Amino acid sequence: MTGVDAVTGAAPAAARAAAGPGGPAPVLDVQGLSVRFLLGRGGRRGIVAAVTDVGFALRPGRVLVLVGESGCGKSVLASALLGLLPANAQVRGRALLTVPGLPERDLLAAPERELATQVRGRVIGLVPQSAASHLTPVRTAGAQLAEAVRTLRSGAAVNALVTGLAERVSLPIDALQRFPHELSGGMAQRVTVALALAGDPAVVLADEPTIGLDRPLVDRTVDLLARLASDEGRAVLLITHDLRAARRVATDVAVMYASRLVEVGPADAVFSDPRHPYTAGLLGALPSGGFRPVPGHPPELTALPAGCGFRPRCPVFGDGGCSNDPALVRCGDRFVACRRPPC
Amino acid sequence: MADITVTQTVPSPAAPGPGWRSAARRRAGTPRGRGAPVRSRVRLLGSGGVLVVLVASALLVPWLAGLDDRAVDYAAVRRPPGPAHPFGTDEAGRDLLVRSLAGLRISLLVAAVCAVVSTVLGTVLGAVSGLAGGWTDRLLMRLVDAVNAVPHLLLGIVIVALYRGSVLAVIASIALTHWTSVARIVRGEVLSLRDRPFIDAAISGGAGRRRVLRRHLLPAVVPQAALCAVLILPHAVWHETALSFLGLGLPPHLASIGNILGDGRDAVLVGSWWIVALPSALLVAVALAVAGLGGSWRDRMVPRRRSELAL
Amino acid sequence: MLSVRGMAVGYRRGEPVLDGVDLDVQPGRTVGLAGPSGCGKSTLARVLALLLAPWQGSVELDGQQVSGSRYAAPVPARTAVGLVFQQPRLAVDPRLPLHQIIAEPLHATGRSRQAPATVAELAERVGLTPELLGRLPHEVSDGQLQRACLARALVLGPRYLLCDEMTAMVDASTTAALVSVVREEADQRGLGVLAISHDEELLGIWADHVVSL
Repeated sequence: MTGVDAVTGAAPAAARAAAGPGGPAPVLDVQGLSVRFLLGRGGRRGIVAAVTDVGFALRPGRVLVLVGESGCGKSVLASALLGLLPANAQVRGRALLTVPGLPERDLLAAPERELATQVRGRVIGLVPQSAASHLTPVRTAGAQLAEAVRTLRSGAAVNALVTGLAERVSLPIDALQRFPHELSGGMAQRVTVALALAGDPAVVLADEPTIGLDRPLVDRTVDLLARLASDEGRAVLLITHDLRAARRVATDVAVMYASRLVEVGPADAVFSDPRHPYTAGLLGALPSGGFRPVPGHPPELTALPAGCGFRPRCPVFGDGGCSNDPALVRCGDRFVACRRPPC
Repeated sequence: MADITVTQTVPSPAAPGPGWRSAARRRAGTPRGRGAPVRSRVRLLGSGGVLVVLVASALLVPWLAGLDDRAVDYAAVRRPPGPAHPFGTDEAGRDLLVRSLAGLRISLLVAAVCAVVSTVLGTVLGAVSGLAGGWTDRLLMRLVDAVNAVPHLLLGIVIVALYRGSVLAVIASIALTHWTSVARIVRGEVLSLRDRPFIDAAISGGAGRRRVLRRHLLPAVVPQAALCAVLILPHAVWHETALSFLGLGLPPHLASIGNILGDGRDAVLVGSWWIVALPSALLVAVALAVAGLGGSWRDRMVPRRRSELAL
Repeated sequence: MLSVRGMAVGYRRGEPVLDGVDLDVQPGRTVGLAGPSGCGKSTLARVLALLLAPWQGSVELDGQQVSGSRYAAPVPARTAVGLVFQQPRLAVDPRLPLHQIIAEPLHATGRSRQAPATVAELAERVGLTPELLGRLPHEVSDGQLQRACLARALVLGPRYLLCDEMTAMVDASTTAALVSVVREEADQRGLGVLAISHDEELLGIWADHVVSL
């Protein structure tokens, strides 16, 4: 990618002030985001720590991929940013949304009315997981797109915009006349991407958009998402457990494990030289990376240890011998939650 | 380059520290507002309380000394509600409250038996229909349509008229007209489960038809069926009351509230409103309480999904 | 050998999903089946597992032709072929804890006495801790549930295993773990495996040879 953003990270104010040469200001600045679920009344049956102290900045023109195994809390993060958490959830931290022409706001503190009328669809577009269950089955794809365009962009030429959107996602025009169950998986997924773009959002949040799709379709979908960042200057946050898709399009990557971020940095650096043992383990589990599973299980989110959650499975230091500190530290061009040389 | 903010502290996850705030939001499509949990608790406790009190008194009536629903007192004929007789007395001087409670016992017992019989019949037919498919399914569903097309009471009267005065006839007439809703619900559930991969997995694992039905399909269906039984109860009560009111239901020695209402029909015309109004109110209270409990149960029976946690 | 010859099958009359298909699964070897989604790979798996009756052609299991499908197929034939589905959440009974899900085929074929020992041994092999075994499906992740489904498919000691997009919904580490268990079974017990996947890279590493539909 062009330019090198200065790495900042001391304090929130400094981070935003020192955006660095050639680096645009972040559109979404997440600081210390934590989400927990209370099971049973008042948390009597347990507390699930789904997201713990996650912080990152999403900049226009970049694709930040959040990877992690299923159950690590990635999708909860997406729901938290859009205010779609269930009633038994509690949040902490801030998620500052800064779009030119609009006041800066904290997504976690914003009231529902503000999120519904100003943020969702208009500033942040969501590409959900399984297209089939997110499309209304009794209306054609074109009708749903038209409805989205009508709602999100007042006074616009609806038909022209709908065909424009369809072209942008490479959806054949006749597919617009079909009902969701008549569309193939790949086409349905393209419809959901078009829906996400209907309001011309500055941020596109894709939550596991490629689950269950063929490899060629996965590639096409993530390429499309990457084009939204590179050609249209949007900020893309892609949440997935598919490492190969991540490697294909990511400019920055954040690895999540047991509710925490363990490694965050530029994609090519992290993928070629992973510094956290978990990242290395994940890459080693790929067919091309050695096909070795990471032994053991992630800890239960109801019983997370206070220190490093990966320690019992860590092949590098075994049990004992490490600092057991899950805080992220700067290490060259990235942040890692593991203090061993060279970090 | 992604830049993040380094956390300054290492709190233990989900620590009960400051700064946690609820993420609950009232969104379109989530009908329950902030008062919903309170309202549903009130409904549950209210219905439960009413039902417990009424059923307990109804059941205890024969054993409480000094209370005889057949005690006739011609000196106290058609007394309005007062301190001695909370519900007043009927045309033979019997205390109406005691008589109503005794009648309630009979009404509830008969209705409970009917509800159970209807449910079992409906479950079996619905499960067979859903599992067999093809012509069996079509025939059974046409039978359901036929039964539904005839007004319940008319069909009930016809059945009862064939076996005048028999309790079995009353039960049969109610059961044979109320099984259809259960059958439809059970059939729907079986149809939705029948083609799921887990049934295929069971077949692949060597299970025969009966085992699949017994171990996988019926247990999934039983909670719905049981709920149907509870919700049929008020209908059965109504149906039996109507039959008895018309004199076609239970015999006089097993007087249910319907019989009381039937006997009191003429008394209303001379101004003794309490003979019909108060026993009916008792019946309505019980029916509402049962429906309320059934509703609470149905609301709690939302299937557990992992998406509860949105992980 | 598990094979099918000249098979034609479909779901609606007049619209065959597969036509004139031959396939062999040999003991001890893993054959990969590739192809885009919708081309009939899952349908082929269902026919081989005796869950769907073909319109033409029949399934031959170890030299004997098997007639009938689903309940009509003889139990020894059905249980000789194990099947793992793509979506673990739909492939399990949501009311049963994991250890009962795994033990269910044993109970169904009258081998309940072996259940505790066999389940414990298999659970350890697929990487499920005893604590996870007592949980309900909605309390475990997709990866853990798919491990339980694999254990269930292996619990009767089948001679053939059909993996229908077994790893499509799970992450890389679970994929590697599941495939290593299947490979071990194939090597040690001579299990014949049909690996269905749209992931050519995975099949390249896993299968001995790959067939395309």
